Amino acid sequence: MSANQKQTAMQSQKLMIFVLSMSLYGLATLFTELIPKFQVGLVEFSVEYFLFIPLVLAMLFDPLSAALGAATGELVFSEIMLGQFGGLGELEKFLTVTIGVYLAGRMVRNPKNRALVGAAAFLGTAAQLFMGMVVDILKVQFAVEDFEAVAGLPESVFFTEGFAFLNDLLFSGILFCLLPTLYLVPRLYGKIEPLLGMRPRTAENSLGKISLKTIVVCLAFFACAAAAELLASSGMELIDWEASWAESGTAMAVGIAAAAILALAVLAVLKKRAASIDKAVERP
Amino acid sequence: MSLIHIQDLTFTYPGASTPILRNFSLDVEAGDFLAVVGNNGCGKSTLCKTLNGLIPHFIAGDFSGTVLVDGENTLDMDVGTLARRVGYVYQDFENQIVRPTVLDDASYACLNYGMEDYLDRGKKALELSGLSGREKDYIWQLSGGQTHLLALAGALALGPDVLILDEPIAQLDPAHADRIYQILRDLNQKQGKTIIVIEHHTEYIADYCRHVLLMKDGRAVWKLPVREALGRVEELEESSIFPPQVTIAASRLQKQGRYLPCAPLPVTVSEGTRAFQKLSWKTQPAPEKAKAEPPRPVASFFNVSASYRSVKGEPHKVFEDLNLTLRSGENIALVGTNGAGKSTLMKLLTGLIRPGSGNISLGGRLISEASPEEISQTVSLVYQNPEDMFIKDSIKNDIAYAMQARKIPDWEEKTRLLLKRFRLTDLANRDGRLLSGGQMRRASLAIGVALNPKILLLDEPTANLDIATRKEIMYTLKEMKDITETVMIATHDMQLVCEWADRILVLHQGRVAADGTRDEIFADRRLLDLVGIRPPEIFALGRALDERALCYTVDDFLNAFKETRDE
Amino acid sequence: MSKWMQKLSENILDKFSMDFLRSQVLKNAYGNDDTVIAGLDPRILLAWYLFFAIVPWFADDIPFLLGCFLLVMVTTVLARVAGLVLFLFVLGIFTQTGYLLIFTLLFGGDASSVAPLLVLTLKVATVSLASVTVFSGLDPDRLSNGLMWYGCPERLSFSISYAYRMLPILMEEFQNVLLSYRLRGNPPAHDTAAGKIRYLVYQVRIIIQSFYPLMLNTAKRSRTTVEALELRGYRYAQSSRQVRRMKLASLKVTLNDLIFLTASILWTAVSILASGLI
Repeated sequence: MSANQKQTAMQSQKLMIFVLSMSLYGLATLFTELIPKFQVGLVEFSVEYFLFIPLVLAMLFDPLSAALGAATGELVFSEIMLGQFGGLGELEKFLTVTIGVYLAGRMVRNPKNRALVGAAAFLGTAAQLFMGMVVDILKVQFAVEDFEAVAGLPESVFFTEGFAFLNDLLFSGILFCLLPTLYLVPRLYGKIEPLLGMRPRTAENSLGKISLKTIVVCLAFFACAAAAELLASSGMELIDWEASWAESGTAMAVGIAAAAILALAVLAVLKKRAASIDKAVERP
Repeated sequence: MSLIHIQDLTFTYPGASTPILRNFSLDVEAGDFLAVVGNNGCGKSTLCKTLNGLIPHFIAGDFSGTVLVDGENTLDMDVGTLARRVGYVYQDFENQIVRPTVLDDASYACLNYGMEDYLDRGKKALELSGLSGREKDYIWQLSGGQTHLLALAGALALGPDVLILDEPIAQLDPAHADRIYQILRDLNQKQGKTIIVIEHHTEYIADYCRHVLLMKDGRAVWKLPVREALGRVEELEESSIFPPQVTIAASRLQKQGRYLPCAPLPVTVSEGTRAFQKLSWKTQPAPEKAKAEPPRPVASFFNVSASYRSVKGEPHKVFEDLNLTLRSGENIALVGTNGAGKSTLMKLLTGLIRPGSGNISLGGRLISEASPEEISQTVSLVYQNPEDMFIKDSIKNDIAYAMQARKIPDWEEKTRLLLKRFRLTDLANRDGRLLSGGQMRRASLAIGVALNPKILLLDEPTANLDIATRKEIMYTLKEMKDITETVMIATHDMQLVCEWADRILVLHQGRVAADGTRDEIFADRRLLDLVGIRPPEIFALGRALDERALCYTVDDFLNAFKETRDE
Repeated sequence: MSKWMQKLSENILDKFSMDFLRSQVLKNAYGNDDTVIAGLDPRILLAWYLFFAIVPWFADDIPFLLGCFLLVMVTTVLARVAGLVLFLFVLGIFTQTGYLLIFTLLFGGDASSVAPLLVLTLKVATVSLASVTVFSGLDPDRLSNGLMWYGCPERLSFSISYAYRMLPILMEEFQNVLLSYRLRGNPPAHDTAAGKIRYLVYQVRIIIQSFYPLMLNTAKRSRTTVEALELRGYRYAQSSRQVRRMKLASLKVTLNDLIFLTASILWTAVSILASGLI
């Protein structure tokens, strides 16, 4: 088989994984979006309950496609479809999920190795949660001027965020990511691959060890994610919006209003004319 | 020069140990209407995928030999170029449709290949497929048959010379199936398209196709004109293909010396009527009718109405004022067109759908007072798609699951017995999805009867099966008599209905249009026309020869018709 | 009485069944394709969304925010968004800031303590409703075309329309698998508090386990889909500028768009005016 054909086949397999991961994880997040989040005291269980789905797929197939598929699925099914799209802030979620799942998938060279699968699932989840925590802390730090100067603030922020992180990781991470992954990977291994027309992953045909480059790229993406989130949530106060229309605002607003009324009138006339032309065409 | 030329093609799927196609050679002339037959797993679908270039361009594997389409080697063309010459409709066609609305999907390929007039092409394809007027509809508003036509339109839009359809009528009622084949015939005769179908239903092959290709173990056994092909009754039967019943009857008569030894065998009912003119019906002794006490009812519907939500507007009403009683020991066939409410009726019985008004009682107890979990001890439903029955990683665990969950004593022993009874012992640790069609059905039946239900409901148990597998399922059904009291089957398969059922319920437009024995139902021509069901071919043949004849099987026919002596 | 209660609880359960969720999501996706909002040009709507998703964050005075809120409320009504989405919206507002607002009001908070909370609530509500209007009100295909015009990757716009196409099928599949578990399983009794917890655990386990068959079944589907996509030129189109141009050619700014836009501008201007006058 020529190299070109191999290339096509590879791409098709990646697209299959993307589609599979997107549909399944998307569907799952659609349901979590519909289930009210439950809160115990100050701690919210905010872990992605269904992260095990892309984790499993990333361990069995091409990790990057599975990771991107999952992140896209969440964006499309639960954010856009339900109209819960939060703007730039969603980018943070998108990238942290991608990175976490991708790293976990890369770690597993042989899906038959249960210890490795478990460790990867745990570390992947941990990576995703950790990045979320860092972004949260940065957010507060960015929003509050003289973050260091306020007595006790850094400590309390570090404590609550750190506690939430540990809680999520130990409770939801184990229950909803580690155990299901350990349940599913050995069961699916060797069964799901033929359905997609692929060879099961073995130590020989895996992508190889995680290199320094992978980590650098992941970190770069994480920086993007953090920047996006910070821009989305705390960049607001950079402009003092209020002042601008307290003084000359009235005049400007009157101008806008007048222009808009004029435009509306013109448009209404145009619309009427268009409608009558349509009618004329229908009735020659 | 033939349109398609295949020489010494051998192909092995990645990871498979034996090739699925071996030294396969074939020529197809332009304008042919070819049926490909062969038992499940003989490489029919793989063959079709080599014609549109998916193999070897998209599906990796070991490929050798040549495939020429219109004189060009598929190895030298990319999939896009080939797609404009060879259109393909999958067996699971609903996954082939990727756009939300009808016109969008029909014109999608043209848009992707950058044809400026893509909308016109889409519209034209819809017109050819008989979907004009549905352009703006959403996919989920279409029925199964229409979705199939849309998949066909999507393939047609690119204007290919060759169309390939993988089992186009597997899940359709006769009216919808006829419609698909009539459209294909138009495309073949008026548009000059070459059409290749993978098909088990030899009645349709006889009516519509020109040539038949028989495949066995990845090889082409022969390709013959349709009449000659269907006349090779024994060879076909060896490959689990059943020739039309008319042809079987003629072949059996020939063996008994009651039909000219070298004459061509009839393949359609009209040919059969002419060929068997000399036969005449002998009055049969009327079967003893033992009018016993009607057995006790196991389930009753009282004025039940049911509806389901629709996306827009009013809920869709399925039943209104339905009254019905199912009795112990009955073998009930539930027939009717697609969408007549067969599945809804079954779901009502399992408590999955609650009636809008009215009551359903189950062994004297109202269904509304029981949870679906409790009802499932008495009523068991086997889905149309057996894959939905497999929720565990091996069929052994699947069969055991319900018993284990209910802590039934000796569940291990019972599982073992069920596996043995359904001849699944060797497959016990395999995943249900990875079994062959017949094994899958058997496994789903075994799962269905695990709790010893009083009522067993089967939704289309013989759809998508080749005839050998179908026979096997019929045998299993007959065997199950002692496990369950009442069995109800929803089906389009009238041969199954005739050979198995002792009571037939005909659903039509939300009510029971008829309820009776096969004689009562099938003898009523007006009813059959009204509700769009079609008796088996042999029955039609019998009645064409003599209005009084009611033959349900080839054996019935041979016994009931004798030669009139020429004196 | 007990019968009535039973009926009620059954009703509530029924409301939150898979079937209900499925029909609501479908309704949201396709049930409102004939509204004013659905007919608008997606590019205009996206730009409009951008304004109402960003500006409220910067504003702090109540008349302006109230004006914006009223406007997006009207557009949400025009878009005929499904009940479930609105419910989610209300729930979201309540859990974020609404409950604080209500508590403060209940416990006799004065204007100074209510005002900042009201401002925050209005901000969050306006931004959410703007997103509900645009993302629920637009039909998925127009939305993805609009996003493509703004230069979003093709993969994303394909994913959106594909997701809408697959959703009913996937949900049905999921429903069937869950039903199999339900009918063949035997959930623990859940009358007592301990039983309720056990029941919850049971349900969570079932949902996780149901992904085993679901993954396999979906894998089979994706294979056909991806093969069909290849045949239908999906990959070819990704790299073609001409196809992109043809796809976007269906987008046209009409009079309705301009009317919608100017009406929005007018209303916003009036709100600014009002806040200046007060």
